Amino acid sequence: MTENAVEIENVTLHFPKQRNALRMLINLFRKKKVRFTALRNVSLEVKKGEVIGIIGKNGSGKSTLLRIISGIYPADEGSCKAAGSISLLAGLGTGFSGHQTGRENAILYGSILGHNEQIMTEKLPEIIDFSELGSFIDEPVRTYSSGMKARLGLAVASAIHPDILLIDEVLGVGDPQFKEKSKTRILDLVKSTGTVVIVSHSFGLMSEICDRLVFIHKGEIISVGKPEEIIKLYYSTTGKD
Amino acid sequence: MSDARPATNLVAVGQRDLSWKSPSTNIFTVFKHRFLVRNLVRREIRGRYRNAMLGYTWTVLEPMLLASVYYFLFVMLAGNPDELYPVWVLLGVIIWGCFGRSLSGSVSSLSRNAQTIHLVYFPRIIFPITTIFGNIVISMMSCLVVIPIMVYYDLPVTIHLLLIPLSVFFAGFLGIGLGMLVAPLNCMQRDVEHLFRFIVRAGFFLSPVMWTYEMALERGVFGEMVLLNPMVVPLTMARHGLAGESLGIPWVGVLGSLGFGIVMWVLGSYVFNRYEAGAVKHL
Repeated sequence: MTENAVEIENVTLHFPKQRNALRMLINLFRKKKVRFTALRNVSLEVKKGEVIGIIGKNGSGKSTLLRIISGIYPADEGSCKAAGSISLLAGLGTGFSGHQTGRENAILYGSILGHNEQIMTEKLPEIIDFSELGSFIDEPVRTYSSGMKARLGLAVASAIHPDILLIDEVLGVGDPQFKEKSKTRILDLVKSTGTVVIVSHSFGLMSEICDRLVFIHKGEIISVGKPEEIIKLYYSTTGKD
Repeated sequence: MSDARPATNLVAVGQRDLSWKSPSTNIFTVFKHRFLVRNLVRREIRGRYRNAMLGYTWTVLEPMLLASVYYFLFVMLAGNPDELYPVWVLLGVIIWGCFGRSLSGSVSSLSRNAQTIHLVYFPRIIFPITTIFGNIVISMMSCLVVIPIMVYYDLPVTIHLLLIPLSVFFAGFLGIGLGMLVAPLNCMQRDVEHLFRFIVRAGFFLSPVMWTYEMALERGVFGEMVLLNPMVVPLTMARHGLAGESLGIPWVGVLGSLGFGIVMWVLGSYVFNRYEAGAVKHL
């Protein structure tokens, strides 16, 4: 009997839909709530040391669920508890500031992800080495290609070892060689980190590394179970195309 | 790699401190995340003068150019001011600029950082705090302009000079409270941002930037009323500091201004902590 690393209980999350102030006022008077329910009554337990995958169509609430776990959105109803440090790998390199050098951005991004100064100074050579940027590391990031940005992002994000790792579609950045390298890196990270929740559309990889899969459809968990069964269920629910 | 981790207990994620204590615990939060704050401040400062040949020289140049325009305007409208008047305007522009940028910067602190907010959770109070720190640093650099002025006008170096950096802090502090109060609202409707840009512009004329506290006092009993404006204290503070005089504002005025700042900080950071979580869903 292992302990739980993440416990999500009956989580519901609504997003406001209306952006127009006038409409908002009118709806307020009519006591009508215009909202979009991204997650409805979602419960999930992740055991310590477990690698769990989340699949579902675009807009089904996969990323939102990861954001709930990482604390970005607090749940409107229900609760989410986690044990230990959490790190979310998503949108690599989106937060970079173009006029600062790669080195400065690496430190900035690292600190945004919650590392302290000591760890960043320690890991920086390794990060620069892994990103394969060479002398570009001291150039402003606006001169980088999108692949280079993603590489730097992955290098920084994967240099840390949290208790719980959340991965949102970050596999497959850069050229084929780097893709292979990043896959190995993430797999290493998955192995060394105890608990991993991963969102991806590459089912081959998912069934390879995940202990269990979760199928989310329209904001609700349809089923949790063995990878092969869940993938089969995914296709039967959403159709082949 | 995976070393033995201590057994950790389940805790609710993203918990916010919503008690009335939160305005004071915010200070510890910022201290705890000082490495992050430092890096974000650096980004803020670097960002402002990117791709500019003159770079940081603009921190001094901008208020000087502005002050010279206002100086000519004033001479045309009102005639002969005193010898140091251009200097008072220059200091006024710097201190008001610090307040104005702190205010509008903290109003838009959440909406500007939408990308980072969607990426990771850390106490979001760090965003307005970063803006304020960045502005204070830039305004401090602007204040270096007093050195050539002191040489030119042969002003003595006194302990009162410390009032200048103090006034920069004060101006930034007055800006953040009000800014945080409405920052969550700005996530929902950006009208707030535009409204506050107007408030900063209008406040420029209602505050002693182009005029001084002493000029107001010459107008008799209405002069005293300017003390209702909390910004009078920092603006006058900087000027008297440069002149080597003590503050010269009644204690009631100073306490009123400081009190306003503290009340706004407490109220602002409470409202900010309370509503940011819901507001970021609009981003």
